[in-house]
Amino acid sequence: MSDTQLAWVVWAVLLPLGGIVVNLVVGRRLGEKGIGAVASLAAAGSFAVSGLLALALLQHPEGGIYRLATWFNLGSLAVDWSFRVDTLSVTMMLVVSGVGTLIHIYSIGYMHADVRHNGDPQRFRRFFIYLNLFVAAMLLLVSANNFLVLFVGWEGVGLCSYLLIGFWFEKGEGGLGNARAAKKAFIVNRVGDFGLLIAIFLMIGAFGTLDFDGVFAQAAQAAPALLVAITLFMLLGVTGKSAQLPLFVWLPDAMAGPTPVSALIHAATMVTAGVYLVARSQALFLPVPQAQAAVTWVGGLTALFAATIALGQYDIKKVLAYSTISQLGFMVAAVGMGAAVAGIFHLVTHAFFKALLFLAAGSVILGLEHGHEHAGEGHDPFDPQDMRQMGGLRKRMPLTFAVYLVGALALAGVAPLAGFFSKDEILVAASERFPVVFGLLLAAAFLTAFYMGRQLILVFFGEPRSKAAHHAGESRPLVTMPLVVLAVFSALGGALNLPGLHSLEHWLEHSLVGVKEGHFVWAVALGSLAVALLGLGLAWLVYGRRAPTEQDALARPLGPLYRAFERKWWVDEFYRLVLLRPLGWLAQVLAGPVDLGLINSLGDGLGQGSQLSANWLRKLQNGLVRSYALVVMVGVVAMFAYLLWVR
Amino acid sequence: MSVQDLFVILPTLVVVVWALALLLVDAWIPKERKSLTAWLSAAGLALALGLALAQRGLSPLMAFQDMVVRDGFAVFLEIVFLSSGLVAIALAFDYLRRLRIEHGEYYPLLMISVAGMMLMAQANDLLIVFLALEMLSLPLYILTGIARPRLDSEESALKYFLLGTFSSAFLLYGVALIFGATANTSLPGIVEAMAGVSATVPLFVAGATLLLVGFAFKVAAVPFHMWSPDVYQGAPSPVTGFMSVGVKAAGLAALLRVFLVAFPSLAAQLSPLVAALAVLSMVVGNLLAMAQTNMKRLLAYAGVASAGYLLMAFVPYGQGKMAGESVSAMLFYLVAYALTSFGAWSVVVALEQSEGRGLEIEDYAGLGFRYPWLAVPLVIFLLSYTGVPLTLGFWGKFYLFRVAVEGGYIGLALVGVLTSLFSAYYSLRVILRLYAVGTPQVQGQRWLTLLAVLLAILVVGLSFLPGPLLQAMGQAVLALP
Amino acid sequence: MNAWFHPLVLITFLPLFGLALLLLLDGRNERSLRWVALLTSLVTFGLAVWALLLDRQGALTELSLPWLRLGRLAVRFHLGADGISLLMVLLTTFLMPLALLSTWTAVQGERLKGFLALFLLLEVGMNGVFLALDLVLFYIFWEFTLVPMIFLIAIWGGERRIYAALKFFLYTMVGSVLLLVGILFVGLQVGSFDLPALIQNRAAFAGAQTVLFLAFGLAFAIKVPLWPLHSWLPDAHVEAPTAGSVILAGVLLKMGAYGFLRFNLPLFPQASQQLAPWMAGLAVVGILYGAGVAFAQKDWKKLVAYSSVSHLGFVMLGIFALTPQAVSGAVLQMVNHGLSTGALFLLVGMLYERRHTRELAAFGGLWKVLPVLSALALIVTLSSLAVPGLNGFVGEFNILAGAFNASALGSVWFAGLGTVGVILAAAYLLKMFEKVFLGPLVHEENRSLADLNIREVLTLLPIVVLVVAIGIYPQPIFDLISPAVERLLMLAAQP
Repeated sequence: MSDTQLAWVVWAVLLPLGGIVVNLVVGRRLGEKGIGAVASLAAAGSFAVSGLLALALLQHPEGGIYRLATWFNLGSLAVDWSFRVDTLSVTMMLVVSGVGTLIHIYSIGYMHADVRHNGDPQRFRRFFIYLNLFVAAMLLLVSANNFLVLFVGWEGVGLCSYLLIGFWFEKGEGGLGNARAAKKAFIVNRVGDFGLLIAIFLMIGAFGTLDFDGVFAQAAQAAPALLVAITLFMLLGVTGKSAQLPLFVWLPDAMAGPTPVSALIHAATMVTAGVYLVARSQALFLPVPQAQAAVTWVGGLTALFAATIALGQYDIKKVLAYSTISQLGFMVAAVGMGAAVAGIFHLVTHAFFKALLFLAAGSVILGLEHGHEHAGEGHDPFDPQDMRQMGGLRKRMPLTFAVYLVGALALAGVAPLAGFFSKDEILVAASERFPVVFGLLLAAAFLTAFYMGRQLILVFFGEPRSKAAHHAGESRPLVTMPLVVLAVFSALGGALNLPGLHSLEHWLEHSLVGVKEGHFVWAVALGSLAVALLGLGLAWLVYGRRAPTEQDALARPLGPLYRAFERKWWVDEFYRLVLLRPLGWLAQVLAGPVDLGLINSLGDGLGQGSQLSANWLRKLQNGLVRSYALVVMVGVVAMFAYLLWVR
Repeated sequence: MSVQDLFVILPTLVVVVWALALLLVDAWIPKERKSLTAWLSAAGLALALGLALAQRGLSPLMAFQDMVVRDGFAVFLEIVFLSSGLVAIALAFDYLRRLRIEHGEYYPLLMISVAGMMLMAQANDLLIVFLALEMLSLPLYILTGIARPRLDSEESALKYFLLGTFSSAFLLYGVALIFGATANTSLPGIVEAMAGVSATVPLFVAGATLLLVGFAFKVAAVPFHMWSPDVYQGAPSPVTGFMSVGVKAAGLAALLRVFLVAFPSLAAQLSPLVAALAVLSMVVGNLLAMAQTNMKRLLAYAGVASAGYLLMAFVPYGQGKMAGESVSAMLFYLVAYALTSFGAWSVVVALEQSEGRGLEIEDYAGLGFRYPWLAVPLVIFLLSYTGVPLTLGFWGKFYLFRVAVEGGYIGLALVGVLTSLFSAYYSLRVILRLYAVGTPQVQGQRWLTLLAVLLAILVVGLSFLPGPLLQAMGQAVLALP
Repeated sequence: MNAWFHPLVLITFLPLFGLALLLLLDGRNERSLRWVALLTSLVTFGLAVWALLLDRQGALTELSLPWLRLGRLAVRFHLGADGISLLMVLLTTFLMPLALLSTWTAVQGERLKGFLALFLLLEVGMNGVFLALDLVLFYIFWEFTLVPMIFLIAIWGGERRIYAALKFFLYTMVGSVLLLVGILFVGLQVGSFDLPALIQNRAAFAGAQTVLFLAFGLAFAIKVPLWPLHSWLPDAHVEAPTAGSVILAGVLLKMGAYGFLRFNLPLFPQASQQLAPWMAGLAVVGILYGAGVAFAQKDWKKLVAYSSVSHLGFVMLGIFALTPQAVSGAVLQMVNHGLSTGALFLLVGMLYERRHTRELAAFGGLWKVLPVLSALALIVTLSSLAVPGLNGFVGEFNILAGAFNASALGSVWFAGLGTVGVILAAAYLLKMFEKVFLGPLVHEENRSLADLNIREVLTLLPIVVLVVAIGIYPQPIFDLISPAVERLLMLAAQP
């Protein structure tokens, strides 16, 4: 690939930054439409660039590297601002910028309503600045050519996530809910980043470089123990960013961000960074099966674990959040077991249908808010995300319902929708190498179908269970248009890597190592399909036939188990008890008794000590000549005593 | 008695004669025009100072059967004493009037004391040393009590007199013992007498020790310092200021010459004693200064501590090559101390009210904002006591520590630097009071402000270019063995 | 070149010229007083840049004149600059005008003249410290910086200013006096106080290395401050006026780290090698301890003060990793900390001027009323918690990466635990940001706060620009310091 072509990649990152500058400088005068247009065009520009790069790659699939400038060079370690254009990175860029663009457009309509509903229209501009910043950071992450520039994007997206979760920083429970959620997200991610940093330090020590090629080339000769250390620390980073066990706790709270954020950052793109990292670093994982197993197990367990929690949620977005964690589990398991293509494939399709689901959920929320105000109950408290307040929206929001149905079925893995194919490939791979994990994933697939069925029924079927739901109305085309587009992708996305063609596989094998010829196993396919339909059907049996009550239909039959689902297995409480409380207490002790008490009094103590001894000495100075004379005599005698005896 | 004899003691002679003459003249000067006496005595001192300066750089001369000597060392100290006398007059000038104790004899007495000090610097014979000691002390006993009918003044005068004679007795006894051991009182004579025999003749050692006690009393080294705080506090501030510099310098002059000329052989025995005195003085002086609330007592203890620092540098006097280093270091510090101390006292005098009010540290609160021209110099002097850089005090201490370290007494140096932490504490405590809220009383401070600023400029200025001073030091020590 | 117009002399003593002007001016004419001081500091910065350019052309000479003799020992007036010194001088002269700008309305009245005078005096001392190559000369400047700072704290400070000033003075003195004895000993062994000469003949005192390392090191460690010698810092920082805190955190702390680099490493190589793990250990304790204590603070300024303990811990860890990467990172981090913490203190001061309190509890939700201030505060906070793309990251990353693979430390635990400090930094800094800027506007009196005016923006903007610039393209700084770092480490490596 020619250098000029490679140079385009820089523009993919720069365009959104340009959008920021424009909006910062003249945004105030542009007005909402203008701001939205600038930001969306910037994102669309990145998408166009990514498309051009893809076309270029068709001629030269081997891709290439573009070195923009030195970042720092300390002799022992040199790191450049260099970008990598290959099929993997460009695929990610297409997804990020493509879905990103759609969500920008959607946001113009959504945020118009949202800023007014939250009573601060001034913040409209800020939202799009953050959104552009995120796209830039995410594109940097996926197009980086070394681990450190990747880390810049890695923490950059985390920062944007922090800013966007806390976008309504004065809202949430007690007015601090959102701010806290944002802080939690950042700190938990930092814990993950700690792992990634250590992994990077280890790589510097072992390979003396952070460039992908340099590292991967030496990986084969490296000591297995070292690779295990590197990969496991990397895994810690993955669990943070991709919300896997045990660091997933931040993602559900992250739903505090505006819905488009949940769709773009916390479903379609940022959270998949971990999957991308493992896929990119296959060369480090392949030589060490132990590490692969670890990654796979984390993915499998997370997939099932999160799915169970999704059963117990009433918040329409929380269900989708846990579903995201679960699906990320699928991808992580896939890349863990070496089925990188399947993982990326699922990443792509998931980006489509999960973004679709979130945006549609947003449309539902808008509908309910609108209905709530319409019902003239504008002021009394009302949670527009509580599925128990919904119902019967099928008729009131037909288009939203239609696309939601597509998304849900795709997620459930119903053929021939996108989710079916991608999930199927993962299951096939698992069935061959990790039978137990295969079981976990299958169970998770079943639960997925079940909770999506539950959600569909609670939201769209039956009768409206609140005035708001009663008065709800379909959203504006600016909102629904992107939904339709995403629905189409969710429906046909499977075509990317149809059994037999494996076009995505052949596309990616230029940049992924150890790609094995994927194949189609009827048993697995039919099995997963059956599981999906079973789940949906069961959901219909449980929820479809009678109006849901305050208490979930499963609550009684499952008893304490269901309680566990509702309370998210008490993980947050656990962390609070064993981690946050003790640490907070420790900080108090250090600040109080230790610092002000011990360490400080060491210094002051010396001072007071000398002061005391001074006051004591002072008593000798009593003003009486005779005692002075005595002292003199004592002095003289002492001198003579010294001369006589000591000498 | 030859012309040379007169020439050798010329400056001293001038001061004495002038003083006696002035006593008579003063009788005719009316009570309200006593400032004339001040001017006259100042003129006398200035004349002597001129002569002394003229005698700089001459080759050493002996006189009166080698009982007095005029060498660089003597001339240098004479200059110090004469300038001290001048400063003391400046300090007293309108203080006496302000406190309504304007007795004309103040100035002649001061001059006689100065003459005694000068003689001390020239003394080449133990008897002359004793004579000079009494000559400088007796007028000071009177001056201390000159603030009569103030009780504390008279009390301190009595104390000073009693303890002074007590220590003189030690000195005299020491002289006697040495005479007994060597049948000699002239310093060179002592050296010759002891040339053959081993130095550790008990009589000889004992005599030297008693001399050390006598000098230690004058320089107010612990444990022979007890008189100084009370006397300093009781005496009129200008007298105290004069004592804090003059007496210390005189005692030091005698110590240096006698020990370097007569007792180099006793270094092994005496160095430890000197070291002990130094450590005690540094520790006790600084510690007790921390505990003071009265400015005059605080400065008294600061003086005690300074004596300690000086003696520290004297410890290695026995090591041949170090002798010169130690002397020049001590003289250098002496000058730094003199400028600093006089500066501090000039501010104290400016603040003192009648009946000894205005001397508590509390009374200094707010001085920094009300009278910056007094406060800023005082800050400089206090920092100089502590030895903070860009004051002469820093170089002084630096030089002393350097000698101690080079002489192999790192322990002493450590005690020195660590105790100077205490001095840092009390100096800063006073400095910070200056910038607290308060309304200090200051009267007739025009002269004193001028003096303080002048000295402050010297203390800072010379710290940038101590070169000339160091050269003078070099000349001063040439003549000594 | 004429000694008087030698660039280094000008940099060091030009503030005295401004000081003279100040003293001539009428104390009531505040405007001109401020402008004289500000312009002086700006010109000094210009001179520093000029020196930098000269150095880049290799045209920057040293200046060494005989000053005075004490008996057999000479003290020389020897100024010289390598990359590290220049960087520190640039930092000093860069922060100075900003600090002065920040006092524009904070300090007023007939004492203004004194305030500005002390500030210029302080600048003389600081520049001297970074340029002096004669140990006695260095010591003089080192001690001299104390005096103006004492007065800045004691006269313009807060409630407990006297206590804070005394504590600051005495803590520093404890170190200094031992440093003095150390200098004397070293000087007498070699017969010179000139640093190059001493390094040449360091064999003369190789026997006493460890003791000397500690004698020098104590002074520097207290200044840094290295745990557990830090308890003077919170008091001094909190009581000092804003501009004082900025300089204190921005420059004075760096003098300690600089001392270790300039003197301990080249003069006492073996001791440096042997004690490296211990120093690094204390540094790591400082990182975690400072973070923990900062987290528990209720006073905004105290929180920032303790964060310095944590951040300087990184610097010390980097220095005693003794690898080029880590040391370069440490030197850069010295600058970064000066910028980000300086800016944080400026922000605290700006809000204090508006609200007259520093209690975190008194704020909350300020972003709603102070968008500009909050946005700048956000960037500064992020730089302080080392978000990649901003300056803090480049420094901390290279420190940790270097320390992680440092043979001198012989264990990955130092850097590993240090990296935990990166997590904790996020914890306490985001807590700070949340308490002040996020959440609802609970206090009525905060509703009417005025956002930054032009002057205040101009005070912060240069820092923010550098924060981003260094984060993206730090190479020029590394090019500047690398030769010096290499040289120091070479000296520290060979016995």
